[in-house]
Amino acid sequence: SSGINAEYGEIGNVCFIRLGENAGKTGVVEDLVDQKHLLIDGPDSGLARSVIRLNQIAITDLKVKIPRGCKTKVVRAALAKDDIPAKFLKSGLSKKSEAQQAKAALGDFARFKMRESKTAHNRKIRSTVRKLKKSS
Amino acid sequence: MVAHKSRNSTLPGGVPKLSRSAVYKKRALYKRAKVQTKPSVEPAATHKTKQVQGEKNGGTREVPLQRQPRFYPTEDTKKPLNNRRKVKPTKLRSSISPGTVLILLGGAHRGKRVVCLKQLPSGLLLVTGPYKINGVPLRRVDQAYVIATSTKVELPALPDSLTDGLFKRKPKPTKNEKEMFVENTAEDPKISAEKIALQKEVDALVVPAVKSVDMLQSYLRSRFTLTKGQFPHEMKF
Repeated sequence: SSGINAEYGEIGNVCFIRLGENAGKTGVVEDLVDQKHLLIDGPDSGLARSVIRLNQIAITDLKVKIPRGCKTKVVRAALAKDDIPAKFLKSGLSKKSEAQQAKAALGDFARFKMRESKTAHNRKIRSTVRKLKKSS
Repeated sequence: MVAHKSRNSTLPGGVPKLSRSAVYKKRALYKRAKVQTKPSVEPAATHKTKQVQGEKNGGTREVPLQRQPRFYPTEDTKKPLNNRRKVKPTKLRSSISPGTVLILLGGAHRGKRVVCLKQLPSGLLLVTGPYKINGVPLRRVDQAYVIATSTKVELPALPDSLTDGLFKRKPKPTKNEKEMFVENTAEDPKISAEKIALQKEVDALVVPAVKSVDMLQSYLRSRFTLTKGQFPHEMKF
């Protein structure tokens, strides 16, 4: 979507909610309320038809064709037709959010192991680079 | 008789709508009122008859079974109320169990990760570094000063001598006047030989269990720290 629309979202744009109590869910833009609010609906991800602030969401490239301010069942049918849930799972946003959730769920021991493996990995890289620099 | 819902109802404020007598009439309890016959209870024996010697002493005498005290206090003092409180062992957090790795939050060893051995009868937790790994000896710790991690070590059976008695302070020997100005030549060792032996015994059991898990030993050697962007209330342990 082009310049202005990419910032505010077009009707039918699939959005990912980053912040707030509905964080992690996806929804479709149904209408624009004002400069900072959208009417969004996400029947497949458990998001109720509600008004949301623009700063709470990230607008994705995925789009469905729906009329302005339509009912939830129309949105549900449109999402199923274009198979949006499957397409969204492949997107970078979805993978990033999954990675964030996985990181937050790590226990203390897991965090320690991750740190150690990262350090060991970086040390290896650094020592290899140093060796190459010396030899060249 | 088929049970009926209450014939009375409650008004706002918790006040019953009908009085006791009104409910009695409504339930027609006059039809059902029966006189309860109390089972006859033999009154407990208070006196016993004793044979008395001597012609003029009447032969027998009623003697009370429970003798009255000889002396009474001059003032009536209040009796303390009955204390029927049963002391229960301190409730352990569900996340803490024998073998759990804990993070100590206070004391000299704060930040260190230790293995929880058991809950002692006093309610405190008995932990060990193990001493060989991070220098934490057999120590008592309150569960409030501890973060329980989700990591658990498989502990074998531990010796029975691990109790609160281990940590009782030895009373200082009192000096009499003569010895007061004499310097102590032999200082008592700070840690008794039995404690050191027990530490070695326990560590011999715990250390192999720790070593059997990959990277667990280096984990116990390290200290817990918070870095930028880490908030304990948002972290999972």
